[in-house]
Amino acid sequence: MLPVVALTGIRKAFAATLALDDVSLALAPGVVHGVLGENGAGKSTLMHILFGLIQPDAGRIQVDGRPVVLASPAVARGLGIGLVHQHFCLSPSLTVLENLALAVGEGFGLVRRRDLLAQVAPAAAALGWEMPWDAPAGSLSVGGQQRLEILKALAGGGKVLILDEPTAVLAPQEAAELLRALRRLAATGMAVVFISHKLAEIESVCDEVTILRRGRLVHHGPLADLDRARLATLMVGPAAHPAIPPDPRPAGAQADIRLRFTGVSLTCEGQRLSDASFTVRAGEIVGVAGVDGNGQGALVDAALGLAAPTSGTVARSGNLGDRALAVIPGDRRREGLVTALSVRDNLLLKDRRRRPYARWGWLAPALWRRKAVRLIRRFDVRPADAGLPVAALSGGNQQKVVVARELDPRPRLVVAVNPTRGLDLAASAAVMDRLRAARAAGAGVLLVHSDLDELLEISDRILVCAAGRVSDSGWPATTRERIGRLMLDAASAIPTAVRPATVRPAAKPGDGAP
Amino acid sequence: MAELVSGVAQSALTAAVPLLLAGTGELVAERAGVLNIGLEGLILAGCIGGFAGAVLGGTAGGLWLGVGGAVVAGMLVAGIFAVAVVYARVDQIVAGMAVNLLAFGAAGTIWHALQDAGRDSLPSGAGFDRIALGGPIVFDQYGLGWLALALVAVTGWMLAKTRAGLVLRALGEAPEACAVAGIDVLRWRFAAVLACGALAGLAGAYLSIMRTHSFAPDMSGGLGFLVLALVIFGRWRIGGLVVGCLGFGLIDAVQQQLQGAGAAGAVSYRLFQALPYLAALFALAVFRGRGNGPAQLGRPWPEER
Amino acid sequence: MIPPRFHGVALAAGSAAGAVALAILGLWCAGFAPLAVITTWCAGAFGNGTRIALSLQEAGPLLLTGLATALAFRCGVLNVGGEGQFLAGAALFTAAALVLPVVGFALPLALGLGAAAGAAWAAIAAGLARWRGVPVVLSTILLNIIAVAVLGALVEGPLRDPATTAPQSALVADVFHLPVLVAGTRLHLGIVLAFVLAGVVWLVHERTSLGFEAKVIGLNPAAALRVGMPVAARQMQLLVASGAIAGLAGAAQVAGVTHFLSAATTSYGYAGIVVALLGRLHPVGIAAAALFMGLLDTGGRACEKQLGVPHELGDVVKGVMVLGVLIAAAWAARRSAAAHQGPADG
Repeated sequence: MLPVVALTGIRKAFAATLALDDVSLALAPGVVHGVLGENGAGKSTLMHILFGLIQPDAGRIQVDGRPVVLASPAVARGLGIGLVHQHFCLSPSLTVLENLALAVGEGFGLVRRRDLLAQVAPAAAALGWEMPWDAPAGSLSVGGQQRLEILKALAGGGKVLILDEPTAVLAPQEAAELLRALRRLAATGMAVVFISHKLAEIESVCDEVTILRRGRLVHHGPLADLDRARLATLMVGPAAHPAIPPDPRPAGAQADIRLRFTGVSLTCEGQRLSDASFTVRAGEIVGVAGVDGNGQGALVDAALGLAAPTSGTVARSGNLGDRALAVIPGDRRREGLVTALSVRDNLLLKDRRRRPYARWGWLAPALWRRKAVRLIRRFDVRPADAGLPVAALSGGNQQKVVVARELDPRPRLVVAVNPTRGLDLAASAAVMDRLRAARAAGAGVLLVHSDLDELLEISDRILVCAAGRVSDSGWPATTRERIGRLMLDAASAIPTAVRPATVRPAAKPGDGAP
Repeated sequence: MAELVSGVAQSALTAAVPLLLAGTGELVAERAGVLNIGLEGLILAGCIGGFAGAVLGGTAGGLWLGVGGAVVAGMLVAGIFAVAVVYARVDQIVAGMAVNLLAFGAAGTIWHALQDAGRDSLPSGAGFDRIALGGPIVFDQYGLGWLALALVAVTGWMLAKTRAGLVLRALGEAPEACAVAGIDVLRWRFAAVLACGALAGLAGAYLSIMRTHSFAPDMSGGLGFLVLALVIFGRWRIGGLVVGCLGFGLIDAVQQQLQGAGAAGAVSYRLFQALPYLAALFALAVFRGRGNGPAQLGRPWPEER
Repeated sequence: MIPPRFHGVALAAGSAAGAVALAILGLWCAGFAPLAVITTWCAGAFGNGTRIALSLQEAGPLLLTGLATALAFRCGVLNVGGEGQFLAGAALFTAAALVLPVVGFALPLALGLGAAAGAAWAAIAAGLARWRGVPVVLSTILLNIIAVAVLGALVEGPLRDPATTAPQSALVADVFHLPVLVAGTRLHLGIVLAFVLAGVVWLVHERTSLGFEAKVIGLNPAAALRVGMPVAARQMQLLVASGAIAGLAGAAQVAGVTHFLSAATTSYGYAGIVVALLGRLHPVGIAAAALFMGLLDTGGRACEKQLGVPHELGDVVKGVMVLGVLIAAAWAARRSAAAHQGPADG
């Protein structure tokens, strides 16, 4: 079948790094095409080129057989290409319909509700979605916002729909529902591009697959030709296949309590947490699973003492700034680092009033330098230059600076939020190893993480945060599916997935599923 | 008594007009994500631009040249500010203070030049006075006053009902969403600041050529800062803004009545003049709710990584 | 090439030179001979000892209000209320000098009261920000306007000199004058103290835990919070300290130069914002900027007197200078960031 869109010999370099090297991609109507690869493999760059956000250095792009230049997203959309970003692009106080008017309307005059509905409602109906047209977009659940994004991408009469890691923010059941919607779209003749690094999802929904590794095309063709092991090998390369040893070390019930929530309720930046009770003991990693925005933010702020609970009590070992309490914030640039300052200053943020680094309020620069050099070596921060501004480091090395500062001597309690987000495989593994080491050294670790698979790998126990309520999943004596149902709030009856087997991930050591 | 009420209402509305004009301008800019602390300077630029235009235009063209000159002057200064904050992505608050200084100096220099040339009084009979409509005295207002009310209404309708309004609202909240929809965020923000300049310029013209028939280098007198408080007070909505402006017009009218009624014997008139600013401070302290402003207010776009 | 640590200096100097050149160009178009303007300006600014003393005397309050502004700005508090705090300091100093007994320690006491008045005026804004969430930038601006009104009421009311018709206070007694350093000028001890204070601020910025905390809070308050810095409290403390320095500037201006209080305001507080930004919030830069602005004002006044150049032009120059330095700094920061950045993730 003639491809709707064909990219040939695409090449793109950023500064010294070659992000894409001679990559080709052909999308056929009615086909779900998976693009698989690790973080940093070039998936997003390729999709940004396809959507006109980035211009390739070399290569050809054809739409319906005609060569085109995708100079901007507007051009791409005009040709029927739509993109759903990993991060949503919605105006939260505008209603659903207003967001659609913004995205697909023309001219700047009066917005006619009836005309607009006539334009966008059929697509929603075809997918079986009931949209609350007049509700502010910000009041929708993450899944609802994603539907709105998809409607936006479809509304221009799209032929190609690109979804960039769409399931990363969803609970398993929501993800399954999304995958069914993608099949429905393909059945109407759309070409769907599904970007992921999760093998199971690719397997369950895709007809064809393109695999990228370090900017190079390593495989493309029908999915049916590949088994899972082969997919994994193609994705990560033969040598770097991750093998994580099982590490079941339940903390003794007698171990010291390092963090205790007793009936904690609070509202913090629009997120609610109600009546949360749990403990974190020395020598255990307690994972907190949940779809983003279900109260984890309030939970973390309460755990750190940044927000006071309206009722209930939080008892913790150490306060912010103490060595006993280590914090690895979810957004390292905004909350963990002062990117304009040097690596040295960032490594010693907690020592500013501590002897011998400061005496009577006076700083001792020579000692600062010495400690910084030591930490840089121990935590393998690259480049090893204490004077460099943190902004000049890669994401992985920035995270190492945070981890080095927080975990250096021996914290008693560690609170980490999405510590591997945006990191490549090696950097993620390094961060996870540091958390295991902290546990081994007797710290209690509270790990709030939106990546359920990583959480399952490392946690001794798993709590689930859903609609502001915290419940103990019973992990490891439970299944991934049950945790998924808890994430969607067991109280509201969510239909189970039609093909549950297909959304189960590759069985990993330590997964513990029966 | 009825006469007194109508008189106070008249001067309240008269005092509210420049607040409404400048406030509507600021609202548009802030909804688009640009916090314009330079509003005071824009108003002053409008004062001198309107005055100079009116003087040049004489009796025949004074009204149009005056109003036009004020709009052009306001947009010119706003343009400088917009280049700095929208394209060069300078801190908006700091740039706004610099623009205030710039406008203050420029207005003074032009005023100096006008005085040197002996052209420091307005032509008479050029339509700068209140227009008597008959009926209650409250309806006797300056021509720009009615234009102001119309502009406020049109802006409110535009923000609520049109796609341009949607774009403006989204600009201050999710500029990324606008960019993806093919809207040139920077150009729109630039235009929003220019619109703010035009409206602030009108407010200035109202002050110089209509309300006082004169110019003084300090004649904006903090009005622009008061308006900034009123936009917050009105929670970035046109309705709230109108309520705030009318309320502060009333405070100003009462203050003038008290001054005139001889209360000035005991207390300096200067304290009466400070009353609206004290009230604004008080209103901010009492009514300010959190998290009502546009999410991206004051932030440059695109943000630094 | 200019070494990176002097980029800030180059930016500020370039903007200042550009603004001055623009002003001269504008004057040329208006019919003033550029050479005459430049020679008159130079002679007026530093032509002889008296003029130099005058320029230094102008630089004193600018240095203090500039330091005050920078102290707050550096930790992310936009205190644009230097004007009101300056006036509060001047007013309370004068009032104290008019009622306090004439004894030896009266001068330092009155100066201290001036600083306290500035601090108190800033504390209103601090309190409103801390407990009512009022943005400091707005409250301090409104407090400036209120301060001007209160000052006017004072010099027309309780502090008015019965001997004159002008709205101004009586002269303060000699014991409340800051000692003059060079006979025949008003170059007073306060100016030396201002430069000493700049040195102290520099030490605090560069060498102390407090200065480090202020810098971190200014650059990233969310991160500062998570390493245990008392962000809000520290910001409010520094806002009040900033007000104290501005208040001291006002008190020293009465004690050293005017010796009485008048309703005519001088906008040293607003000029302090210019000085702080031109000096890139660095004490050494602020000292240089204050000196430059002193020269600019003194020379400008000579130009007004002798050539009829409007003195308001000086404000235009300042405005252009600040915008220039801001734009240049933003541009330079982005360039260096671009040089450091690698590829996007993914």
